[in-house]
Amino acid sequence: MNLELSLKKALNGFSIDVKLKLDSEMLVLFGPSGAGKTLILKMISGMIRPDEGWVSIGSRKVFDSAGGIDVPIRERKVGFLFQDYALFPHMTVYENIAYGISGLKKDAIGKKVGELLNVTRLTNLEARYPHELSGGQKQRCALARTLAIEPALLLLDEPFSALDYQVREKLRADLINIHSIYPITTILVTHDLEEAFMLGRKIAVVNNGAIEQAGAREDVFYRPRTRDVARFMGVRNIFNGKVVSADGPEVIITSPDIGEIKAMRSKEALRPGQEVSFCIRPEEILVIRPDRLVDAKVQDNILEGEITSVTGKGSTQILFLKVGQGDTLLKIELPNFVLRKLGLANGRRIRVSLKRENVWVIP
Amino acid sequence: MDLFPLFLTVKVSFFATALAASIGLFLAWAMAKREFFGKNILDVLIMQPLVIPPTVLGYYLLTLFGRSSPLGAFLEDTLGVQIVFTWKGAVIASMISSMPLFVKPARASLESVGKELEDAARLLGKTEFQVFKTITLPLAWRGIAAGVVMAFARATGEFGATLMIAGNIPGVTQTLPIAIFDAVQSGDNLSANLLVGVITLFSFLVLYAANRFTRGRL
Repeated sequence: MNLELSLKKALNGFSIDVKLKLDSEMLVLFGPSGAGKTLILKMISGMIRPDEGWVSIGSRKVFDSAGGIDVPIRERKVGFLFQDYALFPHMTVYENIAYGISGLKKDAIGKKVGELLNVTRLTNLEARYPHELSGGQKQRCALARTLAIEPALLLLDEPFSALDYQVREKLRADLINIHSIYPITTILVTHDLEEAFMLGRKIAVVNNGAIEQAGAREDVFYRPRTRDVARFMGVRNIFNGKVVSADGPEVIITSPDIGEIKAMRSKEALRPGQEVSFCIRPEEILVIRPDRLVDAKVQDNILEGEITSVTGKGSTQILFLKVGQGDTLLKIELPNFVLRKLGLANGRRIRVSLKRENVWVIP
Repeated sequence: MDLFPLFLTVKVSFFATALAASIGLFLAWAMAKREFFGKNILDVLIMQPLVIPPTVLGYYLLTLFGRSSPLGAFLEDTLGVQIVFTWKGAVIASMISSMPLFVKPARASLESVGKELEDAARLLGKTEFQVFKTITLPLAWRGIAAGVVMAFARATGEFGATLMIAGNIPGVTQTLPIAIFDAVQSGDNLSANLLVGVITLFSFLVLYAANRFTRGRL
């Protein structure tokens, strides 16, 4: 393991308690604002002192409250990219990048900076001052400055949040590219779901100062362990229900909102009568075409309802479908062409299928 | 005309400002960047000369450095240094009086250099002294320079405390403001007018230069 930690800290009515293990890869810390993500990074780097716990980077303990170890920030070799970059305003791009390099001769420093300028596409901007750079250039300069000290660990605190959409896309690609050139153990903090999915093979969901779920991206995304994680992962359709039977290859749940639903078995054992939540992602709901026979595969959970709203979202459309007896709304995301082909509009009644392998049960 | 008071004032102000700036820079840094016990009390103490009467300050200094105090006796008997009724006394009086005028802007400009920038330097492997030298100081120098100018201007005008501790000995401790007082007292209006003209012009030039220098950031 390249990074291992267990940390606790109480801070004006908010408390944080996290455990984390990480190999040489990129982990995305994802969670809502105020969940404690930045605080975790600051404790790892030494900028904020934890109340108790320990941190080891590589094989070296840099903090241990029990052993009285607290290695100063300057000796931790942690690269930290601040949200607003914290470039030194009185130094040029070149001087910023060269600032942390030590123990090299002048021409060796020049060679190293040149290489970093090249990787971060800043080669012609080395004589500029930070206020003469665009947001994206500042960010790349800050990244180059961080990489210059050959950090053992790279911490990126919402690196793209201050940039516009197009720049963001390009810089995400840059980051993936740079990470493949310098494969450093990296933690990236974000509250942007798309970014989390794009950059992290592993995702840890932070909520209320704790890691609520950590694992492979697909696991967290499609198999959330709690309602909150499901919500953060963009699952809008979360319902309450009661287990009717859990013996067969599938679980049958009855829900006051949408009736009886069949779902795949989850890893956890379920017993009849147990209260559970279940959810389905908006893009996994299938609209049944009225002119076709219902395929056996989609026969399971068929619901009928009336479309109450249609909203465009770029390449996809969001529909809300009123189903069941109450006012339950099902959120459905469909590609534009499907919407056009089926002529879906407000007020139309349609049938949809929640395929059971896409219905996920949260105990 | 006797120009001694002018030379003495420049000499005293120079040393007083140099001392106030070096001690004051450390105090300003500690108060801007560190948390410690008694920080508020220290702040109040440094700012005192702005509000207490200069004669009171002078009385304190006279008591502290006089021969009857342990410190005064030690300085005089062991080190052979006499403070009271010498130009060194005038330096100390001016230094204490001008300290708050240096510390206030210096502290504010040191505080304006964000912790994030300093942390960025620490993360890049720098010691506290390196952080101060390469990040904090270069970014805060305008406020510090303003403080130096203000302290110098204050030191040249120091009267009450200087009179108390250094006295009014012509040719020894008679600074410009004291010489003006003396001239007016003895009805020598010509000297008084000349000296007043000199010090007015001098103060005007100092503040004008300071404003140009710091672009109105005082």
